[in-house]
Amino acid sequence: MAKNSSTKKADEKLLVGIDLGTSRSTISADNNKKKWVESYVGWPRDFISRKVVGKPILFGEEAVKHRLSLDMYRPLKNGVIKEGTARDEEAVKELIRHLISLVQSSKSDTKIRAVVGVPAESFKMNKIALKKAVAEFAEALFVVSEPFAVAYGVGALDNTMVIDIGAGTVDFCIMHGTVPTEEDQRTVLTAGDYIDQQLFTFLKERYPQADFNLNMIRRFKEEHSFVGKIEKNVEVEIPVEGKSTVHNITDEVKRACESILPAIVESTLELIAKFDPEYQDTIRENIILAGGGSQINGLAEYLEEAIGEYGPTKVRVVEDPLYGGADGALQLAIEMPEEYWTES
Amino acid sequence: MPNSDKTSIKDSILQRVYEDNLAISDPYTKKSHPARSPSNRVIFHVLPVLLITVLFALIHFISDPISRRLTDPVAFSAKDSIYPWAKIIRDQQSAPTGGPLISYGGDSIPGSEISFDAQRLLNYDFLLNQNHVRVSSIFGLDIQTIVIDPGHGGKDPGALGSQGTREKDIVLDIALRLRDQLMESGRYRVLLTRETDTFISLSDRVKFSNFNKADLFISLHINALEQKEFNVTETFYFGPPSDEYTLRLAEQENSGSEILARDFKNMIKRIGDVLKEQESATLASSIQRSLFSNMEKYDREIADNGTKIAPFVVLLGVDAPSVLVEISCITKSEEEENLNNPVYREKITSSLKGGIKGYLIKRQTQVVKGDDDGEKFLNKKS
Ligand SMILES: Nc1ncnc2c1ncn2[C@@H]1O[C@H](COP(=O)(O)OP(=O)(O)O)[C@@H](O)[C@H]1O
Ligand SMILES: [Zn+2]
Repeated sequence: MAKNSSTKKADEKLLVGIDLGTSRSTISADNNKKKWVESYVGWPRDFISRKVVGKPILFGEEAVKHRLSLDMYRPLKNGVIKEGTARDEEAVKELIRHLISLVQSSKSDTKIRAVVGVPAESFKMNKIALKKAVAEFAEALFVVSEPFAVAYGVGALDNTMVIDIGAGTVDFCIMHGTVPTEEDQRTVLTAGDYIDQQLFTFLKERYPQADFNLNMIRRFKEEHSFVGKIEKNVEVEIPVEGKSTVHNITDEVKRACESILPAIVESTLELIAKFDPEYQDTIRENIILAGGGSQINGLAEYLEEAIGEYGPTKVRVVEDPLYGGADGALQLAIEMPEEYWTES
Repeated sequence: MPNSDKTSIKDSILQRVYEDNLAISDPYTKKSHPARSPSNRVIFHVLPVLLITVLFALIHFISDPISRRLTDPVAFSAKDSIYPWAKIIRDQQSAPTGGPLISYGGDSIPGSEISFDAQRLLNYDFLLNQNHVRVSSIFGLDIQTIVIDPGHGGKDPGALGSQGTREKDIVLDIALRLRDQLMESGRYRVLLTRETDTFISLSDRVKFSNFNKADLFISLHINALEQKEFNVTETFYFGPPSDEYTLRLAEQENSGSEILARDFKNMIKRIGDVLKEQESATLASSIQRSLFSNMEKYDREIADNGTKIAPFVVLLGVDAPSVLVEISCITKSEEEENLNNPVYREKITSSLKGGIKGYLIKRQTQVVKGDDDGEKFLNKKS
């Protein structure tokens, strides 16, 4: 999909697609480089912290590791850049700068042209702030909603539905041959983080003595997530009074993962129902799952069955949930006519 | 789909992306682009539509404090997004048709925190950056942020029962349950001022709520009475105390407030915020009704104190409609026992949720149906 970069002159443009996620941000460039980073930005709290961490700013996992010394930001956490707080805007800006630096070759004077996908909620609310944040590094850029970028990337342009299951939100988007408007989209707030929260609560109830935190919980989930039929027991090690102990968490994982399903099914049906009956069948047979949460085992089958009650249904999962958004944004960048770049 | 079809779809999609992005260009950082598609004639056509939209939005803004939050002005032009918004507003600024807005704005809410002078409204900077009215919220499609505030915490246990039950633990448990129940639908963003047993000052609770742009704020408490045989359910919204008892209760719940006198003065100014008060009152009565009808099933002697007005500091500082619920009295020993039962707490939670959703749904249908709240309000004032 990415054009061969060897034909380009050194001073030419670098095209990038960026997916600014609530939990993970990814970048995909037309020099075939792809990188991701957890959407955390941290500044040292004070002079001493600055000495300890040895850097003026930290990102992703490194920031998480040093979180006690840092002012931490997860700038898109609630789908909004909290404007008024300069730091949140600053964090978005730094995150983008960082992402671009990850794919840029040593000559950092290449001109950047970017298409940035953002969570649908942010898209509605913060387009201007986002454009400002990126303007500094890019010669030209376009901001689009993330589910739309995913759809474009997989060529799902007409009578299809993308369900993008992220950390903070599940974004729904119906494509009908044009850029989706607000009416074609919907956002639901029970997503990955909610599963973590639920799993945490369920495990605290069942194993009150066990000693775990949300990060462990998320790891358990990402390793063992499933809905529907129990195929094998899920057993994990959790310390109890300092001693590592095996716990069976099968039911809890299932319940937690399934807790996001009712809202997904309901929203899917509601969105589809807005379309003419003759299109509804086609859309139902072209449902695409994307985002980290699309990796939940058994999810496509479960949704096929639940939505299938209303007519034949086909649900598939994008090939690369991690880079789906960034790749789609990159493809938009590649296919964007030259005059749009220069006039934007 | 045949390939040529796909290409033409792509062409039109790419053009739309381009146009949409033109429309959201920030006038400050962008060089002006040659007006490619929109001709002056088009702008001329759009202007009246736009004015009506703004007017409509304004009326709802006045009547609807819930939507008084982030707005994307771009959303107005979603349908005609090829027309750079900023440009239209500029034109409008010089147009005499801006007139009627002035009279609405100037008079309607004297002394309210946000004064609606036309200058401010027509200043496109304001429109672009303040984002007060969002179309989706006007049509009730908006995601609502609900902040739940479990009282006390950490070094401050709140009211104590004779068997050692602490208010801070009970309200935290109910708050967590309430978050789960409200989030089930995926329609509400639910945030807690504290998720653990930690001390948080009242002013930090206020800041938290405003920072997160809460649409609703619900503070949860359990009461303690000297007359231990009594059990009472009551829901408060902010206002001057109506009697000695509410004043003392407010003193209790306000203790530990670190709000500076200066802030307090600023907050007091908001007492003139009639809209917030109306909404808070409606929310309070919806919760109180739902909660009491549930509590009554368990304690037939429980008193329905209804909704009341009291000067709770948290309620004053929060921008959103806000209420404080005193769920029941821990000093009655049967009630203390009940409160220790998770099933009972889950029931209380359901009834709180019922009250909150009842309020939200009513709001939403009013807004969607174009309820005449706004006019009522304006009439009342004149
Ligand atoms: N295998 C998996 N099973 C279930 N959830 C997963 C899995 N892998 C990642 N996730 C979850 O997906 C979410 C992140 O998805 P992503 O699309 O990167 O989100 P965002 O765009 O919001 O940053 C997180 O909640 C993460 O825990
Ligand atoms: Zn209290």
